[in-house]
Amino acid sequence: MGREVSESCIDSLLTEMVASYCNQFYSNTPELAARRIEAIGYQVGHQLSERYTMDRPRFTDHLEAIKFICKDFWSELFKKQIDNLKTNHRGTFVLQDNKFRWLSRISGDPSVDNGTQDPESKAAQAMSMYLYFPCGIIRGALSNLGIPCAVSADISSLPACEYNWILRPCCFSIKYAF
Amino acid sequence: MIVCVAVVGHQNNPLYIQSFTEADDALKLHHIVHCSLDVVDERVNNPKKSGLTLNETFLGLLYPTENYKVYGYLTNTKVKFILVTTDLDVRDADVRNFFRRFHAAYVDAVSNPFHVPGKRITSKTFAERVSNIVKSFGLSSAG
Repeated sequence: MGREVSESCIDSLLTEMVASYCNQFYSNTPELAARRIEAIGYQVGHQLSERYTMDRPRFTDHLEAIKFICKDFWSELFKKQIDNLKTNHRGTFVLQDNKFRWLSRISGDPSVDNGTQDPESKAAQAMSMYLYFPCGIIRGALSNLGIPCAVSADISSLPACEYNWILRPCCFSIKYAF
Repeated sequence: MIVCVAVVGHQNNPLYIQSFTEADDALKLHHIVHCSLDVVDERVNNPKKSGLTLNETFLGLLYPTENYKVYGYLTNTKVKFILVTTDLDVRDADVRNFFRRFHAAYVDAVSNPFHVPGKRITSKTFAERVSNIVKSFGLSSAG
């Protein structure tokens, strides 16, 4: 039996979580806030991976587990699959989502204008905080499947021609030691 | 009749172990569960020798002892479920069904935000649900 969650509730919850950790609990230490948000994501990913792998045969290798994250896991979370998966075959995977749902409703605050930064880089700065949660989810899911790794997210490493502000693409890089 | 069920974590740490006998033989049953962990490891590490080709979660009959039959199940997250039964003619389908329901109960228990991953499952709801599943196993195999 599948249960459904309201999309706008999740959006608001994520926004509110980031806001409370960044502005209230750890307003002076953003790196600590980031770690806390990542830890929440880790627990969520840990539990979700337990549930979503229930009726599947066991994975034989790491690539199969990563493919599961790209296809089934992502479909359960975002109703779409990862658009591009790259690997260097040395323990680094790059997952590219061309329209990352959790960023699609974020915009920079135009009222705060200090004149030194262009609005795009300001928005990118604000967005990076929202990416620790999905990073934690991926890391939690993979470590529960037996792949301890480090996950980081990037919204600016894409080549300029691929980059599109309307679609909000996002890259997740996964690194693990063999 | 099922006499014992156990959930064992990925580092072979016990997460939940419960016997369902009147007699005071919990220690003996725990010993049987403990021994079965080696068999699970052997099955998983030599899939060809044991004829386990599809990487199924259900591992089948691990080993029969004089009075008991031990069945195993290994999830994607390397959590093992062990079932010890005294029934002599057990249908595979029944055991599969049991493990599927047991796994569902386990997933619900660990999804509890107050559960600490890797620690023993202390939830009463889980214990109740497991004992219901164990009871209904006896019924379905009798009928």
